[in-house]
Amino acid sequence: MPISSFMGLQTALSGLEANQEGIQTTSNNIANASTPGYTDESAVMTENYPLSLPNGTGGMQLGAGVDVNTISRASDEYLNNSYRATNTAASYASTESTTLNQVQSQLGEPSGTGISTQLANFWSSWNDLANNPANPAARQTVVNEGTTLAGGLNSLSEQLSAVQTQVSQQYSDLTGTGGELQTYAQQIATLNGEIAQAQGSGASANQLEDQRDQAISNLSALGTVSYTDLGSGQLTLDFGGSATPLVSGTTVTWPPTVTSASGGELGALISLSGPGGQIDSYLTDLDNVANALVTTVNTLSPGTPYFNPADTTAANIAVSATASTIQTTTTGTTGANDVALAIAGLSGGQADQTYGAFVAQVGNDAQNASNSQQTSQALLTSISNQVQSVSGVSLDQEMTNLLAYQQGYEASAKVMTAMQSMLNTLITQVGAGL
Amino acid sequence: MERITQMMMTQGTIGNLNQQLNQLNSTETELSTGLSINQPSDNPYGASLAIQLGGQLSALSSYTGNISDGSAWTSQADSSLMDISQQVQSVQELVVQAANGTSTPEVLSADAAEVNQLITGIKQDANTQYDGQYIFSGTDTTTTPYQTGSNDAYQGNSGTIQRTIAPGGTTVQVNTDISQLLGNGQAGGDGLLLNTLRNISQDISAGNTASLGNDLTQLQGNMSKLGEIQANVGSVQDQLQLASTRIENMQTEVQTQLGSTEDVNMAQAMTQYSTEQASYNAALQASASALQTDSLANFLSG
Repeated sequence: MPISSFMGLQTALSGLEANQEGIQTTSNNIANASTPGYTDESAVMTENYPLSLPNGTGGMQLGAGVDVNTISRASDEYLNNSYRATNTAASYASTESTTLNQVQSQLGEPSGTGISTQLANFWSSWNDLANNPANPAARQTVVNEGTTLAGGLNSLSEQLSAVQTQVSQQYSDLTGTGGELQTYAQQIATLNGEIAQAQGSGASANQLEDQRDQAISNLSALGTVSYTDLGSGQLTLDFGGSATPLVSGTTVTWPPTVTSASGGELGALISLSGPGGQIDSYLTDLDNVANALVTTVNTLSPGTPYFNPADTTAANIAVSATASTIQTTTTGTTGANDVALAIAGLSGGQADQTYGAFVAQVGNDAQNASNSQQTSQALLTSISNQVQSVSGVSLDQEMTNLLAYQQGYEASAKVMTAMQSMLNTLITQVGAGL
Repeated sequence: MERITQMMMTQGTIGNLNQQLNQLNSTETELSTGLSINQPSDNPYGASLAIQLGGQLSALSSYTGNISDGSAWTSQADSSLMDISQQVQSVQELVVQAANGTSTPEVLSADAAEVNQLITGIKQDANTQYDGQYIFSGTDTTTTPYQTGSNDAYQGNSGTIQRTIAPGGTTVQVNTDISQLLGNGQAGGDGLLLNTLRNISQDISAGNTASLGNDLTQLQGNMSKLGEIQANVGSVQDQLQLASTRIENMQTEVQTQLGSTEDVNMAQAMTQYSTEQASYNAALQASASALQTDSLANFLSG
């Protein structure tokens, strides 16, 4: 059975086009090799429907060239999801570790500038006063060291409160109107709509899907995410373990419920700064130090109390005694030092121990946070590598593909030349006689 | 086999270099501060131990201060008592001379005057101050214990002054109740030193040799009381000396413990630093060449 003289031209043309699309895909991969969230694409080539030719025994098929009908994304949902879960954990640990480092650097321990040194100086000043109870310089020093210590506790408490405020602020910035959380949610809802529309009209939505995947990954840093496919290119997205989905198709339910169990940066921020959170418990510890100081010192001082008895928190502890009202004795005689000796003897007592335990607590928490940050970061790197291994762009592979496509293109062009000279021969030699 | 992409290599390189630099930075901090604990999270237990040991060191140095103050106080007392003792001996010699009955009234009158002068001297010794405080006035440290002139009444009180000299609130009394030696003079009629000396002065001046024998007995009684008080002061000095040695030992011990808790092991840290630096350099070099050339693109031409 005869075939069209021009059929070979169409076949060569399909080869030229398919290889060109391949080169275009390769070129796009290379261009996006460093784009965050980009998923490696490949031109999926399929054979064109062959031409069936009957022959004597039954029939045969004559190949009709090639066609690129999809550009596929090398995306693995399972890996993407485990990347997001790890990202949530890593982000929680990193937020916690950063804040706790900030808290412990406010303590200035162990060094010569922290509360522990101020406590030691305070007790030592009482000791010096016991050696010369009537000495105005010694009396003034006791007032000064006490004021320094009270001021140290005041400002440490203030600094911790400032960290708490800053952390709460960070939380409201992220969750407020126009904050990161809303932006991503809105972005995902919009992309849901666009992807549905693109797929509905039969177009490819690769680039939009990359963007949505990236938005979901970004969201996973803020808290736990999970989603279900609604079909037709749309997703329902649950955030932070809340019962109500944050994004359902093109609808965003705002504001979402976020708790300390939501994980991610937001969960960490709440568990650090929320009521009864970690910083609150540090402030309570510090208040216990102040309270121990006021109680133990005042119990021993007759007459005018040394610390203002009404102010028993770290934020307001203050010295109420002056150089002239400090009591060194219960007997009323100038040289007696029984009270000064007793107060100097409080060194290493309840206040010191409470403070030491507080520092150890902060240190332990910061160390744990830092350890879990390192662990989750290492895990994240490893999963990120797996994701990259599947979805990333390998330049070696692209270069090899480029060579293949380039040679395929050149060869198809060669076929065209051959066809052309074949037809030329036919027309000029055979048709010349007409 | 895992597919490796260029992004994995760059990210991995950045991550690894950053980790190495972090480690290098932390070793560098240890080297430059000389401390292995630079923040509580470096070693939470060690940090609280360092704080506790630092507090102990500060307390120990307070005890050292107390001990040296107590030593100054007691050695002042010791020298005053020594002075008093010498003057009492002079009186004793005068009494023995006068009791012979061979002295002329002029000599006796001069002797009596000398006794009166010695009484003034003894009262002056009792009024010794240390650091602005009267050391023999009980806790009335701003009150002169004995007034000049004929009033021999003790102006201070019998309060005790303590110094804390060791952990656990071990105290030692550093002041001496001088009124137990000097008493309140003739008005007090207590038979103590000032009473005796005034009697002696009176008896010598009146040539009352018969009473002088009795006076001498009483004076010897007073002297043995003085000896007792001097011995007490001496034993307090010994106690302070011992405490001082003990505190020094404790300081060394706590300092060593603190050192082993928070000080960095220099040899170890230096070795670690060099190793880390070398491996960081190697990593930099490898990364530079790997990232520059490790792609097929570098070898394709045309």
